[in-house]
Amino acid sequence: MSTATAPARRASEASAPLDPPRPLARTGALLRFMLRRDRIHFFGWTLTLTVMLVYFSGVLRAVFPTPEDLQAIVGFTASPVGALLGGPGFGYDDLTLDRFLVSQYGLYLITAAGFMSIVTVMRHTRHEEQAGRAELVRASAVGRFAPLTAALLVAVLMNLFVAVLYGVVLTAQGADASGSFLFGASVAAAGIAFAGLAATTAQLTAFSRGGTGIAGAALGVAFLVRGLGDMSSAQGGDLGWLSWLSPIGWSQQTAPFVLDRWWPLALSLAFAAAFTVVGYVLTARRDLGSGLVAARRGSPAAAAWLASPFALAFRLQHAGLVGWSLALFVSAIAYGSFAQPLVEGFVDAPPELIAIMGAEDDLLTGYLGLMGVMMAFFATIYAIGSVQSLRSEELDGRGEGVLAAAVGRVGWMTSWLVVSALAVAWLQLLSGVGQAIGASASIGDWSLFGDVVLGHVAHVPAVWVVLAVAGLLYGWLPRWLLAVWALFGYSFIVAMFGPILDLPDLAYDVSPFEHVGEYPGAELSGVAMLVLTGIAVVVAAAGVVGFRRRDLVSD
Amino acid sequence: MTTTSGSTTTPDTTSTARGPADTGPADTDPAIEITGLRKRFGRTTALDGLDLTVRRGEVLGLLGPNGAGKSTTIRILLGLLRSDGGEVRLLGGDPWRDAVALHRRLAYVPGDVELWPNLTGGEAIDVLGRLRGGIHRGRRDELCERFDLDPGKKGRTYSKGNRQKVALIAALASDVELLLLDEPTAGLDPLMEAEFQGCIRDVTAAGRTVLLSSHILAQVEVLADRISIIREGRNVETGSLAELRHLTRTSVALETTADASALAALPGIHHFRVDDGLVRFDVDGEAMPGVVARLGGLQVTGLTATPPTLEQLLLRHYGDGAGGDGANGKGRADAPEPAPDPAPGAAASSADASAPASEATPR
Repeated sequence: MSTATAPARRASEASAPLDPPRPLARTGALLRFMLRRDRIHFFGWTLTLTVMLVYFSGVLRAVFPTPEDLQAIVGFTASPVGALLGGPGFGYDDLTLDRFLVSQYGLYLITAAGFMSIVTVMRHTRHEEQAGRAELVRASAVGRFAPLTAALLVAVLMNLFVAVLYGVVLTAQGADASGSFLFGASVAAAGIAFAGLAATTAQLTAFSRGGTGIAGAALGVAFLVRGLGDMSSAQGGDLGWLSWLSPIGWSQQTAPFVLDRWWPLALSLAFAAAFTVVGYVLTARRDLGSGLVAARRGSPAAAAWLASPFALAFRLQHAGLVGWSLALFVSAIAYGSFAQPLVEGFVDAPPELIAIMGAEDDLLTGYLGLMGVMMAFFATIYAIGSVQSLRSEELDGRGEGVLAAAVGRVGWMTSWLVVSALAVAWLQLLSGVGQAIGASASIGDWSLFGDVVLGHVAHVPAVWVVLAVAGLLYGWLPRWLLAVWALFGYSFIVAMFGPILDLPDLAYDVSPFEHVGEYPGAELSGVAMLVLTGIAVVVAAAGVVGFRRRDLVSD
Repeated sequence: MTTTSGSTTTPDTTSTARGPADTGPADTDPAIEITGLRKRFGRTTALDGLDLTVRRGEVLGLLGPNGAGKSTTIRILLGLLRSDGGEVRLLGGDPWRDAVALHRRLAYVPGDVELWPNLTGGEAIDVLGRLRGGIHRGRRDELCERFDLDPGKKGRTYSKGNRQKVALIAALASDVELLLLDEPTAGLDPLMEAEFQGCIRDVTAAGRTVLLSSHILAQVEVLADRISIIREGRNVETGSLAELRHLTRTSVALETTADASALAALPGIHHFRVDDGLVRFDVDGEAMPGVVARLGGLQVTGLTATPPTLEQLLLRHYGDGAGGDGANGKGRADAPEPAPDPAPGAAASSADASAPASEATPR
C-alpha cells in the first residue's frame, strides 16, 4: 500500500503545476521600494515644478496688476514668435492673467513634466539594469513586467501629484477651479505620455543614457513641431495641424480658462498606452541587460592620434557631439525657414511690437537675432552636460586610471574643457549656417547669410562663461555642479521673457547672454565678446586650480 | 636619473629600472618610503600613522581587512588623494607634487576597473599605455593572448574579469619601474590567476618593484618577498613570511613513551595538553631552540611540527585577541606573552617587534 502511494505522490508533486506565471508579481512591493528610494527625487521634481508655477504667476501678478496692462503686450504674445515661444493664444481677445499664464508659460511646465517622466522611468528601468541591480531584483520572486510597471506607476504618481498641486495652487490664487485643474491635468497628461514613450526607449539600447537621449530627442521634436504649428496658426497659415502631432500640443489644446476642453488629453493617454504596450512587448522579447541593438565590435587597437588627454576628451565627447550637431542643424533650418511666413504675416505689425522683438528696423533681423540666442542656449545645455560627464569620469573611476598615467590634473581638466569649448563654437557655427540656409532659402535672398552666421557665433563667448562656471563648481564644489543650471535657467528667462517682464538693467547684466547683442537685429559688441571670453578663461582657470587642490572622488 | 627615465623612450626606462647597482645612491633608496602617514575623510580616520617601506626589486604584499587603508595608501601614492600628515617618498619624489613625472615610471591596476563604455578594450589599453608614455606593441599583443582577452569588444560589454584583464595588460605592457597593484586579480579565474603570477615573476626577474595589495593569501604567499599587515590605518607587522612565522607559534604534536609534562613549564610553550598519549602544544618562534634541545631527552617516537599558515598569522592580527587556534579560553590564561598583540594599546610594541626582524634580513 504504502509503497504504491509514495511514487504516486511523488509523480503528482512533479507534475503539479507551479504557480501560474505572474509577470506582475511584487509590483506593489517594488513600487513602495522605488518611492522610498525616490523621496528626494519625487518631491524635488514635483515641488520644483510647482515653485516654477508659483513664481511665474507671482511675477505676472506683480508686473501686470490690471487686465489693461496685459492688453499692452498681447500684440507680442499673439504674434508668430510669441506663438513659437509660448503656444496657441486662446482667449487673447479678452486676456486674463490666468489665460496668459497657461498659454505663455504652460509650455515650459508641460515640457518640464515630460522630462521629469523620462528621467524617472529611465532611472528605475534601464539604469538599474545597466548597474546590475535589476539582476538582483529579478532573481527574486519578481515578475518580468514588475519593474517597468512600478517605474511607470512612480512616474504617473508624480504627474498626478503635480496635477493636484497645480489645481490647488491656481484655485487658491483665485483662478477658476475647473480651468485650474484642467491645466494641472494637461501638464500631467504630457508627463504621462512621455513616461509611456520612455517605457519603449528604455528597451532600445543597453544604456540609460541612450534611452534618455532618444526620448529627450522626441521631446525636442514635439516641442519644435507644435511650435511650428502654433506659429503657422498665429499668422493664419495652413500648417496649424502640426500642433496636433505633438503630445505637448495636445496639452496646450485643452485651452484652460477659455474652452476648458478635456478631450485632447485622451490623445495623450492613448499615446502613453500605445508606447507602454510596445515597451512591454519589447521587454518580453529581450534578455535582461541587452538592448535591441546588439553591441558592435570595434577596433582592437587605438588609432594613432589617440595618444593625449586632449585626444581622449575628443574621442569621449565625439559620439554625443555628432547627435547634437545633427539635432541643432535640423532645428536651425526649421526655425530659419519660418522667416518668410513671418515677414508676410507681419506686414501690418504695429511698430511697438517690432520694438519688443528687439529689431530696430525690421522684424526679420529681430527674429533671426533672437534665434541666435535661442540656439546658444541649446549649445549651453551641451556645455553643462559635458562638465557633468567629466564628473562621471571621475566618479566612475575612469579618471583615476588616466590620472594614474602620466597625465596631470591640469592637463586632464583643461583638455576636457577646451574640447567642450570648441564643441560649443562648432555647434553655434552649425546652427548659424542652418538658420541662414533656412532663412535665405525661404526668403530667396542670400544676402543675410553671413550676418546670420555671425549673429550665432557671436554668442559663443557667453556660452563659454557658463561652461567656465560649471568648471569652477567642478573644481571647488563638485557636489554642487548642478547649481550651474540656475544660471542657465535665469539667463534663459531673462532672454526670452525679459521684454515682457520689464526687468531692471541689473537683472540683464547678470546674464552672460545680454551683452553681445542679438545680431543682426541689434548692434554687435566686440568688446563684450572679448570681455566675456576673458571672464570665461579666468573663471575656468580658477576651477582648474581648485581641482588641483582637492582629492579625487570616487563612488 | 629621474628625468632621463621619464622623458626617453620605453626601452631606456627598462634599463634604468633594472638599475645596475653602480648607478648611484638613488637606486639603493627604497622605491616607496612612508612614515607616519595620516588621512582622514570627514570624521573617519583612514590612515593613522602608517609606516611602510618597499625596497627596490622586491614584491611587497600588503595585507589587511576591508577598510584597513590599503586602497587609500595606494591612492595617496598616486597623488589622487592628498595626505593629511606624514612623509611619503615614491621613487625619490613627492607623489602629489611630482605626480606626472612619477607616473611615467609606474603603472597602476585598481581592484575595480571601470572602462569607457564606447571604447574597445584594445583602445583602452593603448590609450592608458600611451598616456603613461608608451606601450610595447608586441608585448601588448602577447599579453592579450596570454590572458585570452578579445581586444575588439566595447568596454561596456566586458565582464568584471575581462575589465580587470584590460587594466592588467595596460600595466604589464609598459616598461615601468614600479607596479602598484590593488587587488589586481579580483574576478579572474584560477587559470588567469596562474598567468598573473607568471607575469609578476617575469616582472621581478627584470628587477622591477611591485606593491601588491591583496586578499588572496595564496597569491601573496607565493609572490611576496615581504609582507606588511595593516589594520585600522596602521602597520602592525612587516617581514618575510619566514620572519613573520618566526614571530608566531608553531604547533607541535609528539608521541612519546616518557613523561613529557615537564615541557609545560618551559618558557614559550602554550596550550600544553595530552590527548590519548599524544602530546600537543604550541611553541613561540624564539623559544624553539630550547624546546628542541629538551625533546632529545624524551623518547620521541613520532613528531609533527606545523608552521603557522599566513591565514593564522592574519587571523591573529585581524581578529581581536584571536590566538590563531581554537583554544582561546585556555590560551588567554598565559596572557603576558611576548608576541605582538593586535590591541591598539600594544601597537608600539608590535612595531618594535617587527623592526629588528626586517633589518635582520640579509639581502
